[in-house]
Amino acid sequence: MVTVNGEPFAKVAGQNLLAFLQQRKTPVDNVVVELNGTIIHRPEYEQTLIKPDDKLELISFVGGGR
Amino acid sequence: MQPTIQGMAIKDVYQGMKARNVADSTDRLTAAHVAIAGAGGLGSNIAIALARIGVGQLTLIDFDQVELSNLNRQQFKLSQVGMDKVTALKQNLQEFNPFVTITTRVQKVDHDNVTELFGDADIICEAFDNPSAKAMLLDAASEFFPNKPMVMATGMAGIHSSNSIITKQVRPNLYIAGDGSTAGAEGLMAPRVMIAAGHEANMITRLILGQTKI
Repeated sequence: MVTVNGEPFAKVAGQNLLAFLQQRKTPVDNVVVELNGTIIHRPEYEQTLIKPDDKLELISFVGGGR
Repeated sequence: MQPTIQGMAIKDVYQGMKARNVADSTDRLTAAHVAIAGAGGLGSNIAIALARIGVGQLTLIDFDQVELSNLNRQQFKLSQVGMDKVTALKQNLQEFNPFVTITTRVQKVDHDNVTELFGDADIICEAFDNPSAKAMLLDAASEFFPNKPMVMATGMAGIHSSNSIITKQVRPNLYIAGDGSTAGAEGLMAPRVMIAAGHEANMITRLILGQTKI
């Protein structure tokens, strides 16, 4: 089972990262993706397919600070 | 006659200002270079904390100018409205501690200038307000400097509990302070922004002094 931020996540295996991120509430631009411990850079999102036992960590940011 | 600051010998001023620093910290702090991306509510407060304890080299990066609406939380003065933030901040830092080497860059950080802006720094401090800028800097820094320590913040708005702001170690070299959720639209005020800035500044201090745990 794929996990996203530690939670099991059904039906995402086979999707590419960009398609997966675009379905989420947080804008894609505000997120950095760690896949099995490695940060995936933006140009690689579309060609990266989510595999059945992948561990995804989404590092999301909100505004305010400067 | 020996050189003086405020009528006191420079050497005495330097020693006196370090008297209450943690034992054996001063040499390592003096040798450190921290690049701070953003000179607003987070960056101005972080820079003051790091300058006061004698971090030897600070690079301040921000494209913006001081506005009236900044003054409820950012370490600028009414007399500095309209100035480039990094210039105003450098002026203030030099009054707090003249022994810090400060480089200013009036520049917007993007993927293509990250190497040039942060390459020389020992630690990258993210102090932006824009969430996509935060993510962009992490993305680029992890690409160009996969092992360089980076300290960031997200979520410090409103008047929520102080104790909801924490520091997390997200990766071996990545630390993120904040509550993780409150966004600027609900208002940003000095007390809570300063808590997040304090988290970042203390984590940076710990890293300089060899403490890599949160």
